[in-house]
Amino acid sequence: MRGVVAIYRREIAGLFFGPLAWLLLALAFLLNGYLFVFYLKFTGGDVDTAIRSSLGESWPFWALLILLPPLLTMRMISEESRTGLLEFLLTAPVSDAAVVVGKFLAAVTFLGILWGSIFVYAFTLARLGMAPDPGVLMGGWIGALLVSGFFCAIGLFASSLTNTPVLSAFAAVLINLAIVISPLLAQMSGQRWLRNVIARVDVLDHHKNAFMLGVLDSSYVVFFVAWTGLFLFMTVRMLEARRWR
Amino acid sequence: MISVSHLTRRFGDLMALDDVSFEVGKAEIVGILGLNGAGKTTLMRVLAGYLPATSGSASIGGFDVLRQSIEVRKRIGYLPESVPLYREHRVVEMLQFQARLHGMSRADTKRRIGEVLDRVGLADRKRELIGNLSRGLRQRAGLAVALLPEPEVLILDEPTSGLDPLQRIEVRGLVRDLAARHTVLVSSHILPEIEATCGRVVILHRGRVAADGRPEELVRTLLHEAHVRVEAVVGADVATAVRLLKAVKGVRDVRDVGRSGIHHAFEVLCDEDLREDVGALAGARGWSLRELSWRRPTLEQIFARIALGGTEEVRREVVPIAVGAAASNDGALHVLGGDAPAPQKVVYNLNPFDMGAARDLGKPKAVEGKVPSADEQRAREARGGS
Repeated sequence: MRGVVAIYRREIAGLFFGPLAWLLLALAFLLNGYLFVFYLKFTGGDVDTAIRSSLGESWPFWALLILLPPLLTMRMISEESRTGLLEFLLTAPVSDAAVVVGKFLAAVTFLGILWGSIFVYAFTLARLGMAPDPGVLMGGWIGALLVSGFFCAIGLFASSLTNTPVLSAFAAVLINLAIVISPLLAQMSGQRWLRNVIARVDVLDHHKNAFMLGVLDSSYVVFFVAWTGLFLFMTVRMLEARRWR
Repeated sequence: MISVSHLTRRFGDLMALDDVSFEVGKAEIVGILGLNGAGKTTLMRVLAGYLPATSGSASIGGFDVLRQSIEVRKRIGYLPESVPLYREHRVVEMLQFQARLHGMSRADTKRRIGEVLDRVGLADRKRELIGNLSRGLRQRAGLAVALLPEPEVLILDEPTSGLDPLQRIEVRGLVRDLAARHTVLVSSHILPEIEATCGRVVILHRGRVAADGRPEELVRTLLHEAHVRVEAVVGADVATAVRLLKAVKGVRDVRDVGRSGIHHAFEVLCDEDLREDVGALAGARGWSLRELSWRRPTLEQIFARIALGGTEEVRREVVPIAVGAAASNDGALHVLGGDAPAPQKVVYNLNPFDMGAARDLGKPKAVEGKVPSADEQRAREARGGS
């Protein structure tokens, strides 16, 4: 896909030229740092558990994932459509898919940097003689990246639905929230069939049961890649549908 | 270079382009002219591969714009009306991004950036943030971006929109210069822009091609009303004067416009300026001349006629003007009050030589020159009251 790198570089530059990305990064780093220290204290110095809590086994992680990807991706298509920049991109000699993938990779990179702060904590602790399990560390980070990718794909899809960034962010937050709380709602409903269906698409469960244990199970990787791919595919279709409206 | 065949594009019930066909040759500069909503932008977008056509086909450089869109996009430089540029980038960064999108090598990118910046006169502003540039400079930056990959075809949608007169002249000059090396398709609803820039004009009206040709050809084909206007004292034998004028070589017809005081006015219809011949005839016959002028229709008048449905005359409701008085059909003035007369019908004369379309159509001709001043109005009311 020619042009992905060009779009990716532009999006990364666009993200870091604006204040929003820096603000989000600063706030998320602060929160993550504070929470990591809190988890360390809470677990009595169990580094691996603190890492697991930071990368998926605590509600602040999921709260950040519900909110951050929509904020990052809300402008990527809707704002560009409003300002005419999408017209510029879609008349350049690159495919619609290259435009979407370039933007998606830029958003995932941002979240990768955000979750990458865990390596700083792990390195610091290792220097102090409390080295974490590398499997848990890498598995947790890769898992966080895959889940982030999934939510970024949802954010991009929402961004392709409207020309209003705030509306697209709101829609993406609602979808993310529905995905995160659907297992809980299924549990509360008491319907077994519903629980079974939801369990098949339970993002939290898939993340916790594989990556948090330090295991890179290919079926779980495929689960996230497939869902992410589906939303990216729908985003590309939406871009195409815009042309026919 | 560009071939458009029976192109149709619908937006729901709206027919934006309706069976549009035309061809553009290599290194030709063609203006797409039309009112707002005529379908210019839709046509440009279809050609740029942004919008698919509902039916029909279009190709650029032999490649179909829909099926071989990427090949077409490699060969075009497209500047939409909104001049989409990333405001947070510097001019040079935007150009580098465009170069990467077109897969240009590093050496080519450096060379071309220098060339296009020189060409659009932005070499000294290349480090400036696009968001800080004025509208005119942004337009130039947009043109530089479109020109960077050295496209065979340039598609410019309203490139002078929102610019001040000086900037318009600059952009017009730029576009004219580009015609030597590129095929240029430029749209505008401002007729003098197109007349000044393009060798050929395609007039779109309600999505259809209403006219296509060189401006002077259009003028010749669509309006046979070029004439020498002559006002002279010809005496009582007007018929003889008409016969003599008709006998002048090159005259197609003579219209008797009527008498004004001692002078009589004629329109001597001819394809070429025959003022000297008519003047010589007047001298030979001893006619005392008051006016001898060469009048030929302009593209603007043709455009206005097409835009207004190609009719000679358009009937419109007159909206009473709140000046204290309005003219009735018989020309008398009536003070507007509670029993103000009902709106009257006025026939607008679209004769291109009689102010025609150049006149503000919002003003009814019936009241022109007949509205009394405030003092006259007071005097009139005083007389009425006494």
